[in-house]
Amino acid sequence: MTCDSVSKLIPLYYYGELTPDEEERLDAHTHECAACAGAIERQRALAAALDKRDVPVPPLLLEDCRADLMAAILGGAPRVERAAKGPWRLFLDALAASFSGLGRLRQPIGALALVAIGFFAARLSITPLPSATSLLGSLNSPTDDVYSTVRSVQPDGAGGVAIALDETRRKVVKGRMDDSNIQRLVLAGAHEDNPAVRVESVDLLKSQAGSAEVRDVLLALAQDSNPGVRLKAIEGLRPMAADQEVRKTLRHVLLADDNVAIRMQVIDLLVAHRDDNMVGVMQGLVQRENNNSVRLKLEKALRDMNASIGTF
Amino acid sequence: MAQDAAGTVGARVSLQVDTLIRAAQSGDQDAFEQLVRTYDQSVLRLAMNLLRSPEDARDVYQEAFLRVYRNLHAFRFDCSFHTWLYRIVTNICLDQLRKRKVRKEESATIETAEGPLDRMESFQEESAHADPERSMWNRQLRSKIDGALEDLTPRERMVFELRHYQGLRLRNIGEMLGTTEEAAKNCLFRATQKMRAVLGDFT
Repeated sequence: MTCDSVSKLIPLYYYGELTPDEEERLDAHTHECAACAGAIERQRALAAALDKRDVPVPPLLLEDCRADLMAAILGGAPRVERAAKGPWRLFLDALAASFSGLGRLRQPIGALALVAIGFFAARLSITPLPSATSLLGSLNSPTDDVYSTVRSVQPDGAGGVAIALDETRRKVVKGRMDDSNIQRLVLAGAHEDNPAVRVESVDLLKSQAGSAEVRDVLLALAQDSNPGVRLKAIEGLRPMAADQEVRKTLRHVLLADDNVAIRMQVIDLLVAHRDDNMVGVMQGLVQRENNNSVRLKLEKALRDMNASIGTF
Repeated sequence: MAQDAAGTVGARVSLQVDTLIRAAQSGDQDAFEQLVRTYDQSVLRLAMNLLRSPEDARDVYQEAFLRVYRNLHAFRFDCSFHTWLYRIVTNICLDQLRKRKVRKEESATIETAEGPLDRMESFQEESAHADPERSMWNRQLRSKIDGALEDLTPRERMVFELRHYQGLRLRNIGEMLGTTEEAAKNCLFRATQKMRAVLGDFT
């Protein structure tokens, strides 16, 4: 390979667009030729300078564009749009998911209200409020809230009805995160069905990231079904990103998670600590990654590690 | 095994997009909106980077997705939706760039009472406030880069933009621009040569 032919291949080399054979021959040449090695360095410097000229899209512009487009399609006035699904949005989605669960609860209770209207009209609330306290005249202390869930409603055919209620008593426990009892409750919260409770619990556990128990919970939640929970858990793993067990989980998340924001965050954590084992994984992924932002991030990480973008 | 997992993710994403397209083709507005949201950030970023004007980028966005809306029924899955969409977007952007070349219009600069002002300045994150020397250097570098980018032909500019800033492979870029991978490689080479000539002192 001559210096002239190498100079034509340098941009393609930088962008990982050479065939394996071309790349090998170029590497062999630049090991021997200081001038061409310098030209590759200049290409890197040029690209780094050009990176600074990337223009970020103002978030409001994107929202405006979306509103205009939908208005043009629907033929109506621009409407208020949802925000793009950034990490914060995902978190809000997690909250919304929990409220949709409440919505599902309201229906059977609403049905009960219709059936039972002749019996309890003045006493029973449609929402799962502490109705049972008054309903059953129980001896609960006034500070405890009792929630009723209707399990079955059976008309007896003679104008009567049998209603089965489950009652749950709510207790408020207050304390600080350094209290081991509080910590135990928060750890339990991290396994709750309601994703909003999991998000809040994970957020609190982040500050206790030193304990092995917390680390294990965060590792499990990094693969939670809810993206808001996963994001928070991965954020919580940041101080432990050098831990081999943590890196193993992060690697798995990077390869398997279908959420772009999460993959981006995982790359940040993984590259914060030099790890040659990551190079092969990232080289494999960069070829298959569908999302441009993630691929660019992987390419940059590989370049920062002085690794080739291709995998051979 | 690592590659298999990544491949599975890719296949899942593309399956989701295919489902959205089919739903949108049968008139599901929500599916169309979701489809737009899957790609519109990168489309807007491409338009902003190329045209350096929020107003023009907005026009490109609107025109591109309206064309998608009107022609989606004709999409037959014989290429990826991303490629099909980018064919539309790059065509609109190339038209804009060519018109600008003819008009010699410098839309990134507007005249103000205090002299010319770069419209994009308001969107730049200027981290060098505390260091006037570095700030000055960055300004000079930016203006040099803008000049170098302006000197590229619209096609060179497009190939460079798609490869450097959008991270697309040259094979895909060729497909989007209706040309070969080899032609895209030549374009990228010419673009970098020209920029290296202009920016040599700064890099």
